[in-house]
Amino acid sequence: MGRKRNPVEPGEFEDPLSNYDPPKFADELERVLCETEVAQMPIRPLAFVEKDASVQGALDVMAKYECSCVVVQDAGQAVGIFSARDVLNKVADDTDARAKPITEFMTPAPRTVYTTDCPAKALNLMAIGGFRHIPVLDTDDKVVGILGPRRTTEFLQDHLI
Amino acid sequence: MGLREDIMNETVSQLPLRTAVTVPPDTTVAQAVEMMRNTRLGCVFVVDERGRPTGKFTERQVLKLVCGCVPFDQTVGQHMVPIPESGCVKMTDPVAKVLQGMQETRLRFLCVVDSEGKVAGLTGQKGLMEYVTEHFPRLIKVQMMTSKLHMNTREGA
Repeated sequence: MGRKRNPVEPGEFEDPLSNYDPPKFADELERVLCETEVAQMPIRPLAFVEKDASVQGALDVMAKYECSCVVVQDAGQAVGIFSARDVLNKVADDTDARAKPITEFMTPAPRTVYTTDCPAKALNLMAIGGFRHIPVLDTDDKVVGILGPRRTTEFLQDHLI
Repeated sequence: MGLREDIMNETVSQLPLRTAVTVPPDTTVAQAVEMMRNTRLGCVFVVDERGRPTGKFTERQVLKLVCGCVPFDQTVGQHMVPIPESGCVKMTDPVAKVLQGMQETRLRFLCVVDSEGKVAGLTGQKGLMEYVTEHFPRLIKVQMMTSKLHMNTREGA
């Protein structure tokens, strides 16, 4: 324990960050994916229903806004999402489904991203996690938007030119 | 080589393509829905006798039928939507054309056709995301999968 520590001579001190290389990006698209924020992607408008809605209520919202996914929220928190895939898989041949609560048919606890995350993280969730729609939360955990296939492609396309 | 350059130069054949499901127009909606469930695809292509795509029937159409309470014994020919010109890409087209086609047609799926105009596969947003991830793991895979922004407790506390 009695290791003798030599005091640093003035002028000998080396800043540990002095040889830090900032990340290099091959092009603008890669930089945008890593250094911008999800907030700059097209994340609005957002279609949502409350937790106590029925399946019919969600279908009405989807038909009205012509969207393929609604966020099910409870006091601003995303508790689930209900998408066209859920309709195809669970609702399509169940004639009694319409009156049932949405919570029986939604996909609970969706993976989310924050507005302050980088777009690459959203792409990561989509490609590796296999999620098609990702709700976007602000830093207070409130749902403020949603990212879907169209919007992601739109974002990539915008930065490709 | 950057991501942008690759998207511009590489061809559709380098994208992860999926086997497309093709059906004749007299298939019923119920059968098509069953096929989409079994293959875990969001879309079937309706083809003519020569195997050329004439239309497609997607999750969106299913959603519309369910919203409109349309019985499922009708045929997909009645409810399919025609595929616009930019909704089809060839194997030799650059990846950028897929992005462009998806943007123009506002579709999630594009039909990949061979040199004779027959359906050769299906590509879409998912394939595109996989392509970006596979080619640029440094960009995408290193991102944290956890969704929590803050830690619940102080580290070590």
